[in-house]
Amino acid sequence: MTSIRQRLVPYGLLAPGLIWLAVFFVLPMYYMGELSLKTGSLEAGYQMTWAFENYTEAISDYSTQFLRAFYYAGVATFFCLLIGYPLAYAIAFKSGRWKNLMLFAVVAPFFTTYLIRTIAWKTILDDSSPVVSVLKFLQLAPDGRVLATSGAVIAGLTYNFLPFMVLPLFAALERLDRRLLEAGQDLYASAVQTFWRVTLPLTMPGIVAGVLLTFIPAAGDYVNATFLGGTNQSMIGNVIQSKYLVVRDYSEAAALSFTLMAIILVALIVYIKFAGTQALMGDEEEAK
Amino acid sequence: MSKRTLKRTRLLVLSVLALAACMALVACGSDSGGLGGSDNSDVTVAEGGNPNGPLKIANWPLYIDNQTIKQFQQKTGIKTTYTEEVNDNNEFFGKVQPQLAQGDSGGRDIIVVTDWMAQKMYDLGYIQDIDHNELTTVFDNLIPSLESPSFDPDRSYSVPWQSGMTGLVVRTDLAPDVKSINDLFDPKYKGKVTLLTEMRDTVPLVMAADGIDPTEATTQDWLDAIDKIKENVDNGQIRRFTGNDYVQDMAKGDVVAAIGWSGDAVQAEADNPNIKYVQPEQGCSLWSDNMLIPVGAPNPAAAYEFMNYVYEPKNQAQITEYVNYVSPVKGVKEILMKKDPSIANNDLIFPSEEYTANCFNQVSPPGDEAEQQEVEQAFQDVVTG
Amino acid sequence: MKAWRWIKEHMVLFIGLLALAYMLIPILVIAVFSFNDPTGRYNFEWVGFTTEYWTKPFAITELTDALLVSIRLAFFTAIGATILGTLLAIGLVRYQFFGRRAANLLIVIPMATPEVVIGASLLSFFLTLNVFQLGFQTLLIAHIMFSVSFVVIVVRSRLIGFDRRLEEAAADLGANAFTTFRKVTLPLIAPGVVSAAFLAFALSIDDFVISNFNSGSEVTFPLYIFGANQRGIPVQVNVIATMLFAVTVLAMLAVIIQQKRAEKAAALRPEEAANKPAISIPV
Repeated sequence: MTSIRQRLVPYGLLAPGLIWLAVFFVLPMYYMGELSLKTGSLEAGYQMTWAFENYTEAISDYSTQFLRAFYYAGVATFFCLLIGYPLAYAIAFKSGRWKNLMLFAVVAPFFTTYLIRTIAWKTILDDSSPVVSVLKFLQLAPDGRVLATSGAVIAGLTYNFLPFMVLPLFAALERLDRRLLEAGQDLYASAVQTFWRVTLPLTMPGIVAGVLLTFIPAAGDYVNATFLGGTNQSMIGNVIQSKYLVVRDYSEAAALSFTLMAIILVALIVYIKFAGTQALMGDEEEAK
Repeated sequence: MSKRTLKRTRLLVLSVLALAACMALVACGSDSGGLGGSDNSDVTVAEGGNPNGPLKIANWPLYIDNQTIKQFQQKTGIKTTYTEEVNDNNEFFGKVQPQLAQGDSGGRDIIVVTDWMAQKMYDLGYIQDIDHNELTTVFDNLIPSLESPSFDPDRSYSVPWQSGMTGLVVRTDLAPDVKSINDLFDPKYKGKVTLLTEMRDTVPLVMAADGIDPTEATTQDWLDAIDKIKENVDNGQIRRFTGNDYVQDMAKGDVVAAIGWSGDAVQAEADNPNIKYVQPEQGCSLWSDNMLIPVGAPNPAAAYEFMNYVYEPKNQAQITEYVNYVSPVKGVKEILMKKDPSIANNDLIFPSEEYTANCFNQVSPPGDEAEQQEVEQAFQDVVTG
Repeated sequence: MKAWRWIKEHMVLFIGLLALAYMLIPILVIAVFSFNDPTGRYNFEWVGFTTEYWTKPFAITELTDALLVSIRLAFFTAIGATILGTLLAIGLVRYQFFGRRAANLLIVIPMATPEVVIGASLLSFFLTLNVFQLGFQTLLIAHIMFSVSFVVIVVRSRLIGFDRRLEEAAADLGANAFTTFRKVTLPLIAPGVVSAAFLAFALSIDDFVISNFNSGSEVTFPLYIFGANQRGIPVQVNVIATMLFAVTVLAMLAVIIQQKRAEKAAALRPEEAANKPAISIPV
């Protein structure tokens, strides 16, 4: 009973959403790409000059900030995984009646808004706070302070992007068939072995998704560096923001943005191939 | 599997072709795109007369008290929308420029920006002239020192909102001997010093401290000063570059000395009495934020009403009491003397001539657009590490 | 060995709770400082306890206005993104069609794009096009755009776990596609749709970067905080942030209770659920 009308149904369902994304995501990206090859200024106007040197300048001038951003994001993602996995596991398996509440507790901080949460960390981490005194005692604060150091920025990134790691991990863990875990134990595997050989591989798609959803936005972030960082903690996001909003050199800003996206896309492809899953593509196999 | 690969390849080829077609199409017509460019038509004079319709003001945050707008609405019946959307001169410029370039103010009747940005916008044709005949209260009460600034000698388009000084803000208990900008680079304060992200505040002060007259500095002078700042960033002397938020760090003692604004110091003293504004030995930078009527303002007559209203001494006194910056209006000191003598006697709010003897008006880098951008970019590179 | 396992289990829950506490520390700090009584402008040192600001949380007009803008924005974003996203999810999960892979890609890529890039590109786009007024319109467009992908993911995972036989049963009983969708599918995926809407709402209220680029002269709650940060964040901001958090937690509790009730009813008589979906709709 596949009439023409029925065959058009999926397109009808998809059209509104896809058109929205095409017009308000793809098209702006395209315009930005175009802008990156122009020269000029806001006052005088921009002319298309196929200025590929915008890209070479962007990479050579700001390689420090690029590398720094990837480094901070990488470390933050690692910590997010370290903290987020046990949390997701606890919510999925150990929380019983409180599962939904705990899940919501992960998302609820969003409602206080990003900025206030980051500023709250400023209060917690300021030079005279008890937290910092403890850290200083533990020799973890080489500059005699925590704020305005890389540590503070990484801590902020970890905190702010933790939910993006926890939610995909939780989804993957929840879908796990408990009988597989039981089977492992029936075969005399210890808890650690069960985890390592059963749970971890089966939740790999969730880990991939979590890592990507954390690393990528963190790499482009600038808020944490602005509030918690100092003069040597600027990330590439800060440069892009400054080029767009302060210096208003739109074509270089566009070139920087595109370079960032390109690097991320390359990393994405490599990572997905390496982790060996098509988790993000959402094929039906994922459900099994 | 091969059928799938075939399908995928087809899809890929189609999308690449589609993209290429789009690019070609748009690239041809893109030079005249809406981004950039300015309209240098003749400058209009904002029309006065009877206010018709609402008033929309764009100002900096926390630059007005809680009562003035309400009272203005009650008195005049003009519905007023007051948005605190100006966080930074450059950011605001970037936001409004494309509309202003086409003669559209985005509904705003008054915008408030600092001297140099006011001049820049005016030169680009984005601001209307004001009619002095409509602003009798303003010009009757404007303090003499602000009557004829270098950027707008006849006050043909700007009316000061508040004025202020940029100098040193210091925790006098933790850094008692900071008296000059160069003291900020004293190694004993390493990591506890901040500078402002506003280039036109930071760099001229650094130049002045080395004996250069900022009003006559060359592009190379600016770049040299920026290099000096960079050295101090690299060796960890400067903790960070800030907007107004240096005061928070100072209240906590994370920062002991900074380049900062007079109004902040007055307000911060309430939090911590040891935070004081210190006039640098080589002088401070004087600036004001100005009310401007942009092109395309829907209700300039209402704008005139508002300007006159806030220039009445008793209304201004209310604002000054809250904002704690230098008031551009005569007669405010006397009113506050009765109400709150501590404010009236405060040198930072009502500075005497001798207090500001060494001060210079805020300056911009010299030269044409390209040279200015070179300096701006050099400074930005230091700020964004 | 049993004892060792017990400790291990306890350990994971313990670490999980620690992690949760870590997430809530700043919220605690915000809440605590909403009771502070600062002498001056800056609310960073504990001075003294007062409930003064809780009695007048909406005293600052600009703050209240910004809050209302944010709430309105989040509300419409949630509606728009949920509708678009749910349709997308259904289309993607249920149907095989030409371009499925590409559609998947298009939906996923925005999530993988840094906010600063999305915000900046949208700004240049709006400025070049000059069709939309920079302000609420552009904010809404931007927020819906970045929320849609998240909605798709949430609804899709709910759809994948959905028992198709219920739909087939409805079809066998003579319902056409639309009726089946309305009376069977929709109610059963409703929890997923509701969570997606909730997530979209949360993301919108929380957003700063994209809003910073595209707000025109509108001031949202986060943008207000950013501006106010320069001169001293009023205590009311802490009060309102705490209120938002508290209201959310309460709303969540209400939803959980409703869901539990609905699931109980659905669990008792699954066959009837297809014919009497009214029972299983969480209100």
